[in-house]
Amino acid sequence: MVFPLQTHLNGQSVHDEVAPSTLLVDWLREQRGLTGTHIGCDTSQCGACTVLLDGQAVKACAVLAVQAQGRHVTTIEGLVPPEAPPGTLHPVQDAFVACHGLQCGFCTPGMLMAAVCLLRQHPKPSDAQIAEALEGNLCRCTGYAGIVESVRHAVRQATPQEAA
Amino acid sequence: MTAPALPSAALPSDLAARFGSGQAVRRVEDPALVTGRGRYTADLLPADALHVAFVRSSVAHGVLRELNLSGAREAEGVVAVFSGADLVTAGVKPQALAAAFRRPDGTPMQSAPRRALAHEVVRYVGEPVAMIVATSRTAARAAADVVFVDVEEQPAVVDPLAALEPGAPRVGVADDNVCAEMRHGDAAASDAAFAAAAHRVRLPIVNQRLAPASMEPRTVLAAPGQGDDVGRWIVTLSSQMPSAVRDGLVAALPGLTKADVRVRVFDVGGGFGMKTGLYPEDIAVLFAARALNRPVAWRPDRLEEFLSAIHGRDVQGHAELALSADGRATALRVRGIANVGAYPSTASAAIQLLIGPWVSTSVYDIPVVDLHYTAVLTHTAATGAYRGAGRPEAIYLIERLMDAAARQMDLDRAELRRRNLVAPAQMPYTNAMRQTYDSGNFPGLLEQALARAGWGDEAAWAQRQAAARARGAFRGRALSTFLEWTSGNSFEERVTVDVKADGFIEIFTATMAMGQGIVTSYVQLAVDAFGVPPERIRIVQGDTDRGNGFGSAGSRSLFTAGSALQVAAQRTLEVARERAGQALEVAPADLQYAGGRFTVAGTDLGIELAEVAAREPEQHLFLESSTTVGGPSWPNGAHVAEVEVDEGTGEVRLCRYLSFNDIGRVVSPPIVKGQIEGGAVQGIGQALCEQVRYDEGGQLQTGSFMDYALPRVDLVAGLPPEAGGFEGFDTHFDTSVPCRTNPLGAKGVGELGTIGATPTVVNAVLDALAGAGVPVAMLNTLQMPLTAERVWAALQCRAGA
Repeated sequence: MVFPLQTHLNGQSVHDEVAPSTLLVDWLREQRGLTGTHIGCDTSQCGACTVLLDGQAVKACAVLAVQAQGRHVTTIEGLVPPEAPPGTLHPVQDAFVACHGLQCGFCTPGMLMAAVCLLRQHPKPSDAQIAEALEGNLCRCTGYAGIVESVRHAVRQATPQEAA
Repeated sequence: MTAPALPSAALPSDLAARFGSGQAVRRVEDPALVTGRGRYTADLLPADALHVAFVRSSVAHGVLRELNLSGAREAEGVVAVFSGADLVTAGVKPQALAAAFRRPDGTPMQSAPRRALAHEVVRYVGEPVAMIVATSRTAARAAADVVFVDVEEQPAVVDPLAALEPGAPRVGVADDNVCAEMRHGDAAASDAAFAAAAHRVRLPIVNQRLAPASMEPRTVLAAPGQGDDVGRWIVTLSSQMPSAVRDGLVAALPGLTKADVRVRVFDVGGGFGMKTGLYPEDIAVLFAARALNRPVAWRPDRLEEFLSAIHGRDVQGHAELALSADGRATALRVRGIANVGAYPSTASAAIQLLIGPWVSTSVYDIPVVDLHYTAVLTHTAATGAYRGAGRPEAIYLIERLMDAAARQMDLDRAELRRRNLVAPAQMPYTNAMRQTYDSGNFPGLLEQALARAGWGDEAAWAQRQAAARARGAFRGRALSTFLEWTSGNSFEERVTVDVKADGFIEIFTATMAMGQGIVTSYVQLAVDAFGVPPERIRIVQGDTDRGNGFGSAGSRSLFTAGSALQVAAQRTLEVARERAGQALEVAPADLQYAGGRFTVAGTDLGIELAEVAAREPEQHLFLESSTTVGGPSWPNGAHVAEVEVDEGTGEVRLCRYLSFNDIGRVVSPPIVKGQIEGGAVQGIGQALCEQVRYDEGGQLQTGSFMDYALPRVDLVAGLPPEAGGFEGFDTHFDTSVPCRTNPLGAKGVGELGTIGATPTVVNAVLDALAGAGVPVAMLNTLQMPLTAERVWAALQCRAGA
C-alpha cells in the first residue's frame, strides 16, 4: 500500500509515493538521495536526523514521511539555495567552520538545523536558550564547547554593529 | 577563553604562509561536512545492495539446539539466511588470537573461539547467531523476528570476581575463566617499602565499563569488484584500520588472498578505538556478498552498537601507595581484575595487563612498583580500545591515591605532587616499568596551571566556596598532573608523494581520518614543505590498494605519519632539485626553492615544481618514503577543575576546567584545542554519568541513549557562571618541550584530555564532599560514575545530616 505524498522539499515541490510506515528520515535518505540527514540512534535521542518541518526543528526519525504532506521540509542540503555560487555557506554553517564546531561531522547537520531554527525564533539567544535548543542533539567529538561558540559567533556575525 | 574565529580563505599570494603549521586555519574537511556532503558508509550504499539483519542471542550463555530458519527464508524480500553452522561448513574460521600473553600456568592466553556467527554455544547477550539477507533493511529485520532460536540456557557469570570463583560457569576453553595474567615490578622491594613507610594509602578502585558510542554506528558494505576489480571484493566500512580489516577478512574467509580484497574507508563519524580491528559482522557481510555475488550492506541500530561493539575500561581492584614522612612516594602496589568479556582480542588483554601498567607511576618519581593484573572472561561483550586504552585506568588510580594521601597527611595536594614529580634534569627518565620518557617539564606545567587557577589564592577560593553555599551547593576543586603513552606501539609509517604536472601534490598515508582533523594537519605540513597553497595539496587515505599500515589509534597519526610526510616532502624536493638543475643546466646547489618554484638567485632563470614533474618520463614525480620514529611520545598535562555539588539533589555542575598541556610542537592550534576539550568531556562523562550495566543474568540494561547517559550540551553551557554554570574551557599548550624522538617534535594529543579529565573531576567532587563534611572513609570508597544518586547518598553520611 502506498501513499501519494506531495510536499515542499528544500524549496521544490515534490511528488512521491511512500509506504505509510516510512519514516521521514528514511524517505529523505533513501528515496530522495539526501544523505546529509543522519541516523545515529533508534530512540530519538541523538538528534542527528534533525530537519525543519515548516521551519520548526523536528527529529526526522520521529516523524512519518506522510506527516510532511503539504508542508515544507528543509534539510541541511537546503540551507544554501541551489543557484548560489559553489562554496557558498549559510551563515550558521560558516560559523561552525570558523569556530571549529565540528570534528567528525556526523552530528553536525542536526546541530546546524537545530541552531538555524533557534536563530530564526531567537536572533539573540541567551546561553540558556542555546543550550535548550541543542539539548536534543548529542555530540561525542567536540564536547559541545565549539558548537556553542559557533552559535554565539553566528549571532555576533548577524549583528555586526554590536560586535565592536 | 575562546579562540578568535578563523578567517575565510581569500587566496592571497601569502596564503601558503597563512596555512603553514602553527597557524589557526579552517579545516579542509569542513566545507563538505557542514553542507551535508559527507560520505559516511551508509551514504554510499548502491541501489541494488542487499541488506543484512542479524539475529542475536537473547541469553548470556547457552547451547544452541536448533535454529528454525524456515519462516525467515520464506519471508518477503528475503534472499538468503545463514547460520553459524553454514559458515563452519563453508570453512569460515574463528578470528585469530595472537597469544601474546600467558595464563598463570604458562599456557597461552585464552579466548573462546570468536566466530562470525555463533556455532553451538552463545556467550553473551547480543552475540550474532544468524544472518538474514534481504532486499531491504526493513524486510531483513522483519524476517529476523520470525527466526526461532532454540537455546538451552546455561548459567552465566557476569561479574569477574564471581568468574574467578571455583565452580563458576566456564566462559572459554580452559578449566577456569582466566584469560591472561601479568605481574610487573618487584614484590619484595614493594613489601619492604610498605613495611617501612611512614604513610600508607589503600583505595578500592572501580573503573567502570563504558561504551565508546561514536555517533556514527559501524557500517559495512561488501561488493563484488567492477571493471578492473572484477574477481575482487571491495569492502567499504567505517574503520580506523583498513589494513587490519583486510588482513582479518582474508584470514577468516576461505579462498581469499590479500590481493583479492580492497578495503576502502571514506568519512568516519567518530572512532575512539571502537573502530579498530575486525568485527564478526564484517566477516559475515563479506561472506554473504561472496555467497550471493551481490553487494551486501549492514547498518546496525544503536542497540546493536551497545550490545556488540567493543566496550571500554572495566577493571577493578585495590591500589596502594607507600610514602615517606615527607610525602615521597616509595612504592605503588596494584591488584587489578579486568573484565575482558567472552571474546577478548589480544588488544583487550594488552590494554589492562601491559599498556596501563606502563604509565602507572605517571609523572612521579616512584622507584618501586608491584602490579598484578588478571584479565578474566565473563559472559559479556568484549572490551577493547576506548580513548586512552589502559592509560585512563592507570592515571585514575595514581591520582586518586595522591589526593587520598594528601588528605591523610593534611598536605596541600599540589605540594604533595610537587614533591614527587620527575624533574627536567632527570630526562630522559626511565620509570619503574622500564619505559623511558624522552622529554617533559612536569614541574613547569604544574606551576603554570596553579598560577592560572589561582590555586594559592585562598581568599578568592573561599569566596567562591561561600558563593556556592549561598546557592545551596558545595564547591570543590582538584588538580591532576599526568602523562600518557602514545603510538599504539607502531612507530613506522610509509608515505607516498606524487607531484603532478598540473600542480597538484597528492600524498598518501595509511593513517585514517575519523574526525580528528588529521587531513588539515597534513596539509599544513605539506604547505610548509612545498610552499604551495593548500588547494594544491590532496591527502589520500583509506585505500588498501594505495598503501597499508597500522592505521589511526593511540594518538599516533601526527607524530608518525606527519614525521614521515615531512621527511618524504624533503626527499621529494631533493630529487626535484636535481631534476631542476638538469633542466636549467645549473648545479642543484645553486638553486633556491620557494612557493613551488626553483630559481637561480639573482636571475630570471627558474622552473616550477609542476614543470619538473611534467618533464618526468611519466609526467609526474613519485616518491615513496618510510620513516620510523624513535619511540612513543609522552604528552603530559596539568589539569584543574572546579565543580559544585547541589546539596539537595547531589547533582554535580562543572564550573571551571583549566588545562596546561605539553604536546610538543603544535601544528593546528584549534584542532588540538578541540581534541583536549572534546576528550575532556568524554572523560567527564565517565566521571559523572556513563556506565555500561549488565544484570546478574547478563542482560544489558543500558541499550540506548535513554539508559546510557552521554554528556549533553548542558554540561558546558546554559547556566550563567554566577549561578554555578561553566565558565568555559581554559586550554593552554606549552610548546617549550618538543618531543625528542620524532622529526616533528610533536606528541600525540588525541587521548590526553580524556585521561586527565576523569580523575580531575572525580577528585574535585570528592573535595566538595570533604568540604561538606562527608567522612574520609566514605570518600575513599566512592566510585564512578558520580551520579546525583551516589553523591546525594554520600551527603547523607555527613555527621548530623
